Parts: sequence; structure tokens; C-alpha cells
Amino acid sequence: MEAQQSVLSPAGADAQSIATLSWIMFCAAALIFFGVVLITIFAHKGNEAWRRRLSSNAFIFCVGIIFPTVTLVALLIYGLMLTGARVMATEADALHIEVVGEQWWWRVRYTESGAVTANEIRVPVGRQVEIKLTSADVIHSFWAPNLAGKVDMIPGVVNVIRLRATKTGTYRGQCAEYCGGPHALMAFHVIALEPAQFEEWLAEQQRPARSPTGALQIEGESRFISKGCNACHTIRGTAANGAIGPDLTHVGGRISLAAATLPNDVRSFGRWIRDNQHIKPNNRMPPFGVLTDRELAALAAYLEGLQ
Amino acid sequence: MTDYPHALPRPKAELAELEKIWKVPTGFRLLTAVNNTYIGLFYVGAALLFFILAGILALLMRLQLAVPENTLIDQGTYNQFFTMHGTVMMFLFAVPVVEAIGVLLLPQMQAARDLPFPRLSAFAFWAYFIGGLVFFGSLFFDLAPDGGWFMYPPLTSTRFSPGENADFWLVGIGFIEISAIAGAIEIIVGILRTRAPGMTLDKMPVFAWSMLVFAGMIVFAFPAVILATFLLELERAFDWPFFIAERGGDPLLWQHLFWFFGHPEVYIIFLPAAGMVSMIVPTMTGVPLRAYKLIVVALVATGFFSFGLWVHHMFATGIPELSLAFFSAASMAVAIPSGIQVFAWIATIAAGRLRLTVPSLFILGFLAIFVIGGLTGVMVAMVPFDWQVHDSYFIVAHLHYVLFGGMVFPVFAAIYYWLPAVSPGRLSERLGRWAFALMFAGFNVAFFPMHIAGLMGMPRRVYTYAEGLGWEWYNLVSTIGAFTLAAGVAVVLADVLLNFRLSLAGNAGNVWRAGTLEWLPNSAHGTRSIPPVTSREPLWDDEKLAGDVDAGRYYLPGAPTGGRETLVTSAVEAVPQYVLQVQGPSWRPFFAAVFTAAFFLLLTVKLVMPALLCGVLTLAMIIAWLWQTDPGVNHPPVDIGGGTVLPVYVTGSSSHSWWAMVILLLVAASLFIALIFSYLYIWTVSPEVWPARMPAVIWPLASAVAFILSSAAIAFAGRMLARRWALCLSIILACLALAAAWYFEFQGQWQSGLRPSASSYAALVYTVTAVEGQLVVTAVIMGLYTITRSLAGLLTPVRRATYDNTMLLWHYTVGQGLLGLLIVHGFPRLAG
Amino acid sequence: MPRSQNKHVTWRVVLASWRVGAIWLGAFIAILVMGGFLVAWSGVYSVAASRGHWPGFRLLLEFGMRSSVRTHALGIDVPNLDDPALVERGAGHFQGGCAPCHGAPGRPSSPIVYAMLPEPPDLGATVPAWKTNELFWIVKNGLKYTGMPAWPAQQRDDEVWAVVAFLQRLPNTTASEYQALANLEPRRQEVPIRALAQGGPIGTGLAACSRCHALDGAGRPSGAFPRLDIQTAEYLFLQLQSYDQDTRHSGIMQPVAAELEEAEMRRLAEYYASQRPVQRQEPAAGNEASVARGQRLATIGLPDQGIPPCLSCHVEDPAVRDPLYPALSGQYASYTIQQLELYKSGRRRGTPAAEIMSVMAERLTAEQIKAVSIYLSGLQAAR
Repeated sequence: MEAQQSVLSPAGADAQSIATLSWIMFCAAALIFFGVVLITIFAHKGNEAWRRRLSSNAFIFCVGIIFPTVTLVALLIYGLMLTGARVMATEADALHIEVVGEQWWWRVRYTESGAVTANEIRVPVGRQVEIKLTSADVIHSFWAPNLAGKVDMIPGVVNVIRLRATKTGTYRGQCAEYCGGPHALMAFHVIALEPAQFEEWLAEQQRPARSPTGALQIEGESRFISKGCNACHTIRGTAANGAIGPDLTHVGGRISLAAATLPNDVRSFGRWIRDNQHIKPNNRMPPFGVLTDRELAALAAYLEGLQ
Repeated sequence: MTDYPHALPRPKAELAELEKIWKVPTGFRLLTAVNNTYIGLFYVGAALLFFILAGILALLMRLQLAVPENTLIDQGTYNQFFTMHGTVMMFLFAVPVVEAIGVLLLPQMQAARDLPFPRLSAFAFWAYFIGGLVFFGSLFFDLAPDGGWFMYPPLTSTRFSPGENADFWLVGIGFIEISAIAGAIEIIVGILRTRAPGMTLDKMPVFAWSMLVFAGMIVFAFPAVILATFLLELERAFDWPFFIAERGGDPLLWQHLFWFFGHPEVYIIFLPAAGMVSMIVPTMTGVPLRAYKLIVVALVATGFFSFGLWVHHMFATGIPELSLAFFSAASMAVAIPSGIQVFAWIATIAAGRLRLTVPSLFILGFLAIFVIGGLTGVMVAMVPFDWQVHDSYFIVAHLHYVLFGGMVFPVFAAIYYWLPAVSPGRLSERLGRWAFALMFAGFNVAFFPMHIAGLMGMPRRVYTYAEGLGWEWYNLVSTIGAFTLAAGVAVVLADVLLNFRLSLAGNAGNVWRAGTLEWLPNSAHGTRSIPPVTSREPLWDDEKLAGDVDAGRYYLPGAPTGGRETLVTSAVEAVPQYVLQVQGPSWRPFFAAVFTAAFFLLLTVKLVMPALLCGVLTLAMIIAWLWQTDPGVNHPPVDIGGGTVLPVYVTGSSSHSWWAMVILLLVAASLFIALIFSYLYIWTVSPEVWPARMPAVIWPLASAVAFILSSAAIAFAGRMLARRWALCLSIILACLALAAAWYFEFQGQWQSGLRPSASSYAALVYTVTAVEGQLVVTAVIMGLYTITRSLAGLLTPVRRATYDNTMLLWHYTVGQGLLGLLIVHGFPRLAG
Repeated sequence: MPRSQNKHVTWRVVLASWRVGAIWLGAFIAILVMGGFLVAWSGVYSVAASRGHWPGFRLLLEFGMRSSVRTHALGIDVPNLDDPALVERGAGHFQGGCAPCHGAPGRPSSPIVYAMLPEPPDLGATVPAWKTNELFWIVKNGLKYTGMPAWPAQQRDDEVWAVVAFLQRLPNTTASEYQALANLEPRRQEVPIRALAQGGPIGTGLAACSRCHALDGAGRPSGAFPRLDIQTAEYLFLQLQSYDQDTRHSGIMQPVAAELEEAEMRRLAEYYASQRPVQRQEPAAGNEASVARGQRLATIGLPDQGIPPCLSCHVEDPAVRDPLYPALSGQYASYTIQQLELYKSGRRRGTPAAEIMSVMAERLTAEQIKAVSIYLSGLQAAR
């Protein structure tokens, strides 16, 4: 499944109206540009009458002042209407989510249910979603272009973005404000689901982690503690309760790893745990080169199993 | 004509003496040259060097982005590259190159012999060049800043950028800004006070107008970023929490201050380029510029509006809707003045016959690119659209269309157009056409696809991108375009190397049949004599003008005082007022610049003692340089011709140094206003850190009394210029009172237990004190300098410019001090 | 119209005068280089140590050496060297690393050494002639052409300072004081029979270890040397190996570890791991706020600053703790502080485990390091 990340294929109410505005402006701009080119050609090569007209003060006045004033005022009014539309009120049945930007991943919490996940936001199609955005460290910017414009995540400030997905699908988003180091690798997914599917998923997220099955996974679970993974990560239902890194309770069920940097499979888990500083330089997790191949395989199997 | 100011023939020795006086030093003494043409050329050369260096960084980045998941350049290096590319292009290329062209051309356009403060230009250039090279060199030691060219905290705070990389930006850029301000003061006084007689404001070349607006904008915009860098450096070095949210600071304060500078910066760069276009278009069409007055109004309006747009860089920060509406409207409004200029140029083309020379081609290219940049500019002024494309590659495309199209193309037109004024021949038409074709095609191939990549979701400042998002082709095409563009620039370079030979006196002359004064026969001393001006295109009106000027028929054909001189005229009507004795070559500004650069850079790498040593040496050099200014009435009034007899020394409000001092104080005032804005802004964000209890009222009262006393003492000293001891005593009293006033304010805060690292409020209060402290120290140094001048017998009731300038600074210092007290002590009581 | 010649910059004239000067300079340099090469090639100069230097030449060399040390030592800030632990650490190394050439109080060096050119000086007599920062520079960098080696682990300025701290005491150190400081009486009779029986012949190795770490592995009360008795055998063995392979850097430990066979390392590690740890330090007391901060860091961490709790990897219970992770409970605070500082400044890198720890240490401030180290030192060492 190829996730999209484009302004031009809107799947949200906000993005839709902005896309309409964009196309109007692109067409108008193209017309104006070719108009200016044409006028310049006439000014250079046109006959005397044309050139007399084009060199008059009236021409400068009309084309240089009146035309842009009228066009811009019209555009401004249209733009302000759209701006107002975005700053709309929160609906009563809106879904509330809190997203915290952290170097270089996204902490996600569903306010009503308390479900916690990371780098992935699932939303029901058609329902308004209000997301509270803030940052734990530097300034980030939350941008899922298919759904809406971006809003900055600023330490000490809580900004709000309201979305409404209109089509089911997987949409990719990315941090848009340079946040140092691997800013390029700080992405996320928004997955718009049918409401029933969404509720099912949300219920699953609230449950504690499923127990490991098979010797390898069981070994992985104990390694998760003894190697110190639990110092930073939480897996609900186990002793792991670290609060620094992403909650891994259902990590195996997400569609990507490391803020949409790697696909979610056993091999990626292994690569990430041992070699994350090469995959995503300077990220906040230390590389666990101390693990033997066996230990790594066990951990990867365990984590992949946390569906 | 019978009414020439001077009869012919001129005395034989006159020209030889003029040339001897204005001779440019040779050999290694070339470093001491101060002549505006030389400094201007050094300046242009240095700026182009930085253009090429930053361009190479861009090419390397384009290589990295040519294919997805490329590993050519690692993340850390890439982050340094894009930070340096932006910073170097903005601070070390764009602003300096237009300032350089101004220094190079303005005196010639106004038939002045030199700028009024030639040593200041030399100082500004050397500080910029040496400092800029070292700053760029930080790349080779992995020390280059990596926070993006707008250096947003908290990313650039000590916590998230613990290395010295960020300090290189904050301190390194600090003095390049100082250099830009020095240049701006020079240019304002130069434009307003050293025009040819009769060149009233409405006959001034449009380029001079644009440079006047440019310099004025620097005076008001740069202090904001100087303050911002000062605050962030204080936070980094001493933990004063201006931008730390937990202690009442706000990261958005930086953005407000930065963009209050940063947006005008765009027009600071663009307006002079537009001025150049307004000079070249009439020449190439052979008719005067259409709608001259409207264009001047447009320039001034752009300068004015540009200060009201800064928030459009912050549409996504979640600011209130009302602000969004205001700044959106203002951002659109600024498109209108640009539109006026574009259509005035087109109208001029229609009025005449455009010769398709290389400069014309570059200007047509500019028009096409700039119109696209302007249109996308209107788009991003639309708030909802900006929410989508802000910080995406669409913006990267837009800003390059505006800046590269709006500024680099005109500058290349200017290089082809004006180089014959300092070289025996033109550059090659054939190479020029190739260069234009490569640059125009390359530019559009490189940057147009970025619009689409941005709309397809590609954020800026990413060192790599994933496969499968549909960005691959656009990036590859961009890279190909970038190298085509670079090839075009390389052709221009080759052309310059092949065909440019520096020669002032032996220049090619008026090769384009232009109408303005810079095309008069010229040399190191400017024109032989200074003609009166009666129209905007004097060379078109009077075909004999060049010959007459060169024969010495007009004003000031020699050097009557035996030194370098230029004519000072009134600001509006350009009536001759006095003969200004300008200064010649000297090592002092050169070494002052070397030590200034060394001071800041040593400070960056925390070598405090050597830095302080360099600071003291800078001060010594500046005082030594200052010592030679203020010559007094060393010559009786001179007859410049036509019966006009002018004094050689003037003090008070008509003196050029008075004007320069007033502009400098405007810079200081801008900085102070930005600081007060910061104070009030932080209050709106975090009123909870404002104190319930203030220092006892006695402290600010004592401080205010001491301030007023010190001002009175300085005023009294002005009446005692003839009585040396009374003068010295009252200045010493003034110094003591000023120091006491500052101490009372500081001590009052300190006694109350307030510490600057406690909260953003405390940090701001102490910053007000610190900024005032800088002024107090400067005032005291100038006070002591004035005493020294007096004791040396160099200060009299007539020869009083030194005192006048000290007095101006003094009263300003006291005024700012009192206002500071009022706000720091009054506002919390009012608000609390 | 030749209006003026001097307005052209006469580059040619300037260049011509420079060119003449450059040619002369070039010729002069060429003659010097050729001459030098001829002298060296002919072999007339004798490199014999037996012949001494030409009169006067020695003075010149010494003058050059002193000046070089003085200039290069400028700008070296001297830390506080009063800590007795530093002196002990320096003395421990001095015996093995310096005394063989320079001798020590009451222990003259071998006559072979006297035949070196230059002859290694008796440091008790010469040390007072140097400033502290100069001593540091010499110990760290060594002296070219004299046989004085550089410090083997250039990352470890802290070790060099320890030697300097001892050197400053050296002129006033009597033979018996030196004996005690360097622990020269490895009371062999105290080596428990159990250890010998368990580990076989570890005599020389143990003698070297125990001079500093003591026979029971508890170091010395000053905290100059880390406790080994609290660690597992796997951990100790790995550290010895890392010292030997220079993946963990130390000018003090590397020479010792390099002497050991792998089997010896294993036996020594097992020997020390089998010691019963005794509580050495009082639970942290004093500044309550600081203790609380240390406890918080060790047990909860500071999640918003990305600092996990120390004890979640360095688990107190050795049965649960990963054998690769060292015990910190009961370790001397000064050692923990020093190692965290090394991690923080990037000087302890090279092993996979160090890659983990340096990420954590970089996030700690100096105060946090101190607070948490003191807290950990007061915990009961467990086995």
C-alpha cells in the first residue's frame, strides 16, 4: 500500500477547499503570467498604436494599480472565508487526540480512551477530529497534506488542528519545521478507517500487550527487560514502563517503524535495534551493538508479535 | 554658452595635482585604499566570491537530492550546508553585493568625488571580507552552524545545540550586520548630502532612490536581528531564558524579531536590483523612464509596507485569526508597488526601442522570473494556501524565483552594463548571450519543478527522501537544471576573467549612450569638474557636457585645499553648502577591521583574553582614525567657480557628521524599540513571571536624577568650549553622573534579589540595563576623548564637531535611559 | 587622451620587485636544503649515545626543550590536584610506568638507564623546576629524542593529572611513604588459599592488580581505585580484554592488561568476582536536595530530558542484571563520576556497551552526574 503525501489529492475537508483555491490561483497566475509576456512582446514588437497605448500613464495606472487591487481584494476575501472555515468550532461528537512532537517521532494519545501509540494516527472517516499539538523539545510542524494544512508544534504552546477525513486510506505526513538532525526522517501516517473498523482498532489499542508465544518470543520478552529496553519503552501488561521512547504495546500492528522510516517487519526490528544510528543518525535511542544475533532475533520476534 | 563657472584653459598644474592627491596606493599598500571605486570593486568581487562558494554548496546539496535515499552527503554535513547556503547568500552575498554596487556607483552617479566617509567604507568592507572568510571556513572544521538560516530556538539553544556551531552564526553574523549598518549610514549621508549641485530629489537617478530606501530599511530592520542574536547569545552563554517556555520565555519571540528583520531583508535585496533595472531599461530603450515619480513612490511604499508583513512567515504558528487577516492583506498589498514597477518598465520598452544587448536579455529574464515569483508570492500570502505550502519545496521555489530572479539576474545585467565604466572594454556579447541562455534555462529547469515537488508534500531542509512518494523525477530534473545554471555562471566568470581589466581613467566610456552622470569621463577623483544638474538624463540634454566636464569648466575643477574634497549640498534642493575634506588612504580602518573581526571570532571560540585584547586594539585603531577627523577651519573659504564661495568646515545640523550621528542614533533607537517590543510581547505571553514586588522607588528616582544631571552637565560643557578646565570638569561630572545613573538602576534590581536567569522578565530587565550600559560605556569613552581633544587644543568654539557628536550621543543615552526606567519600573506597577 | 598614467595600477612593477626577492629567497632555501642533505648523506655526524653532545649543543637542546614545553603548556588550565585519591592513583602508576627509568624514593634505577643519552633525571630533584601545567604537558606528550614516551591513552587527561599530582608530592616523599603510597608490599601471605586453589597460579597478575585494587578488590578507602569485588566475572574479564585491545583506553590499565594471557584474565576476573563485597561507604548524606536528585535519577530518571533510570539496566540484583552491565551500587562515587565524565566528553568509546552509555551520559549535567554517583555509592553492594 503506497501512502500518499500530496496537496493535490485531497482526502480531507480542509485540504479539499485549499486544493480548490490552489487550482483557481494556479490558473489565474498562468493567465496573468502569459498576459504579461504577451504585453511585453507587444511593447517590444507591436505596431505604433499598440506601443503608444502601452507606454501611456493610463496603462501603468490601469494594469499596475487598478487590476491588481481588484484581483487581490477578491482573492483576499475568498482567502479570509477559508481561513475562518478552518478556525471552526469543535463539534460535540469530535474525536480528541493529543500529539506531541519529539525529536524525531510523534507521541500520540487518544484523549477519551487513553489509548497511546506513536507515529501513527488512525481516524474514523467523516467524523471531526480535534488534535492538540505541542512539542516536548524544539519546534516541529504537523503536516499531513492530504488532509489539511500544517500547524506548528511549539514548546509551551498548545495549538489545535481540526481534521475531517473524507475518504478511507493511508496518508503520509511529515514534520515540516526543521528540527535538527534527522528532521528528514520524522514522518507519520494517518489512516482513515470506516467508523466500525476504527472503534475495533481503538478497543484493541486500549488492551494490554498480548503474551509472547513460542520460545523465541518468550526469550525476547525477558531480554526486553534485562537489556534495559524497559528503561525507555512501555509495554502495557509487562514490567516495562519507560516513558522516554514510544509506547510499544502494539508496535507490531503499526505500518511502519521509527517514524515511518522503516517498514514494519522482523528484519527491520533487528536492524533498528542494533544499527539505528546509521539508519537515522543522531536519533535519541542508543545502538544496541551489545546484543548477540540470537538475542536480537528474540527481541525482534517478540516485538513483531505485539500486534 | 557663456555662463560656465570656469573659463578655459585651466592652469596646467591643476589636473596633475588633482591626480596626485587622489592617487590610489599600489603594492601591498593597496590594502589602505579607501577610494569608493576600489572599495566598491573589492566589495563586488568579495560578494561574488561568496556567491560562488554558497553556490557550490547548493550544487552539492542538489547532488545529494538527485536520487532518493542517497548517501553522498551525510545528515550533519547537509544540515550545515543548507544553513550556510542560506546564511552566506543572504548576509555575505545579497546585501553586500548591492551595497557594493552602491559604493561603486553612487558617487559617480551624483558626480561626487567620493563618499563622505571613505574610511568607513573601507572598514565596513574589510570587516565583512575577513569575517566572512573565517565564517565560511567554519565549514571545514565541522563547526558551521546547522540550525537553518533562521536559527529558530529552542533548536539553537544550548540544550539542543551544545556545540559552538550556533555561536558562529550568532556572533559571526553580528558583526557582518554591523558592517552593513556602517555601509548604510555612509550611503544615506552620501545620497542626501553629496549630490551634484541642482540634482534635486526629483532628479536623482532611480538607483540612488532605491539605495536610499535600501539603506533606510537597513537602519530600521537590522537592529531587530542584532537584538535577536544578542538575546539568544545571552541565553546560550549565561542562561538568560528569553526563549525557554518553562521560565516564561517564548520561542516565538525569536521569530517575531527575526522576521521583523527577515522580511524587509527580502526587499532590502530586491529594491536596489529594481533600481538597477530602472537605470538600464531607459538606456537600452533610449527614452527616459516612464512614471519616474510613481516608481519612486512604489520604492518608498515597498520599503514602508515591508515592515508590516513579517508575520506571514508565521502563519502556521497558531496566531490569532485577526492577525492572520491583517498580515495577509498587507502581504498582498505589497505586490502592488512591484506591479507598478514592472508595468512602468514595460511602458518604457513600449515608448522606445529596446536594444537586445546582454543586459537587456538579463532584464527580460528577470521580468519573466520575477513575475512568476510575485504571483507565487501572492499565493503564499493567502493564509490557507500557506498552511499547505509553508516550509515545503514550494517555498524554496518561490523564494528563489523572487531572490534569484529578482536580484541575481539584475545584478548580472548590472555587471554587463556597468563594467565598461571601470574597464577598457565591454564584456563579450557572444559569451554573455550563452551565459544568459544557460542561466535562464538552467534556473527554470532547476526551480520550477520544486513548486510541484512541494505541492506533492516535499518539506524543505530534508537531506534525503523516501522512494515512492513521486518526488524522484522532479528532484533529478532540478539537479540537472542547477548544474546548467552553474555552467551559465561559469561562462560569466570566464568572460570577466578574459575581458575585464581594471582601469578607471582608461575606461571604455559611455558605450551604451546612457544619460546619467556615471558615464561622464571618470577617474579615481571622479569627474574632473562637477557639473550642475538640470534634468534626470544630463548627458542626453547636453552633448558637450562630457567634454566640458573633463576640461574642467564646471565646479571644483582642482583641489583648492590641497587635499581630497567633495562638494556637500543641501539634502532636498542640492544647493552647494560647503567643501568637505574627505580622508585618504590609511592603515587605521584596515587594522580596525582586522581586529574587529578577530574580536568577534575569538569570542565565538571562547578565547576571551585574546578577544579582549583585539577589542582594545580595535578601540585604539578607531580612536587613532577618529583623531584625524574634525580638521577645523584649516583653509579660508574656497571659490568653487561661478562666484560660489564655500566654507571648508561646517558644524552643527548642516554638517555631514551630524547627519551620520543622527542616523546612528536612529539605529540605536530601533534596537531599543525592538527590545521594548520584546518586553511587552513576553508580558502578553507570560504575565505570571512579572513580579509582585518591585525595587524601592528610591533607586529609579536616584537614577533618573543622575541621568538628568549628566545631560545638564554635558549641555553646560557646550558653553565652556573656550574654557578648557571648565569643559573638562563638567564632562567628568557628566561621566560620573551617567555611570552613577546606570549603577543605581542596576543595583536597585540586584538588591531586590532579581537574577537574570530566574525568568524571562528578569532577563529582559537586565537586558534593558545591559543595552543602556553599552551606550553609557560608549558615551563615557567619547567624553574622555572629547576631554583629550580639548587638552590637545583641538576643540574650540568653532572646531566643535567632536563635542557636537558626543553631545548628541549623550542626550540620546540619557533619553533612552529615562525611557527605560519609565518602562521597567512603571509598566509592572501599571500592569500589576 | 592620456589623462593619467598613475591611475592604472602598475601591477607589473610591483610583481617584478616581488619576483626578484622571491628568486633570491628560493635560491637560499635550495642551498640550505642541499647542504643539509649532504651532511646527512655523508654520515659524518655520529649518533652514538656513548659520545655525548658537542659542548654547548646540549645547552641549546635543553633551552629549546624548555621553551617548547613552556610555549605548548600555555593555556592548559590546572585542575585542583589536592585530592589524596589522585596522588594514590598517580603513585600506583609511577611504580610501574616511571620508576624503571627515573627511579623512586629509596629505589634507584638500573645502571643501564644511566647509559642513556640523555640520562633520565631523578624526578625528585628536577620536578620543582617545572610548572604544573608543564609537567602535565610532558607526561602527556613525552619528549622527542629523549626516550620519554607519550601517555599511551591520549584520551585520558585525568590519568595524566593523577601522575602530575603525585609528581608534585615526589620531592617531599620519603622511601617509606612511597612504599605505602604505591603499596609495594603485596602481602603475599594474605592471598587466600582459596583463591590459589580456585584460580591456579595467578601470583604475578594478582600482585599487580592488588597493589591498587587490593586483594579483596575493594580498592582503597580514598576511592582512588574502583571496586572490583562488586562486579561479575564476565564483566571484569571483558574490561581486561578491552584494555588489552585498547577499545577501553587507559594509560594505567592497558600496560597491565597487555601482560596478561587470556586464561590469566579469566582467573583474575573470577578471583575478584568471588570476593564477598563489604559495605564501604556510608549511604549518601549531607545535602538532602542533592541526594533526592540522585535518587530520582537512579530510580526514576528524568523522562522529559531523555534520561532513563540508571538502575533499570544496572539492576542491583546481580541475578537479574545483564552480565555485561556493571554494578554501580556501592561503587566509589569518584570513580563513577570520572567514568561518566569520560563518556560525556566522548573519551570512553569503542565498545558496543560504551556506545549505549555515552548516549546517556551526554544527557547528564555535571551536577546530575555528581548527585547520582554519590547516591549510588551509598547503596548496598549486592552479590
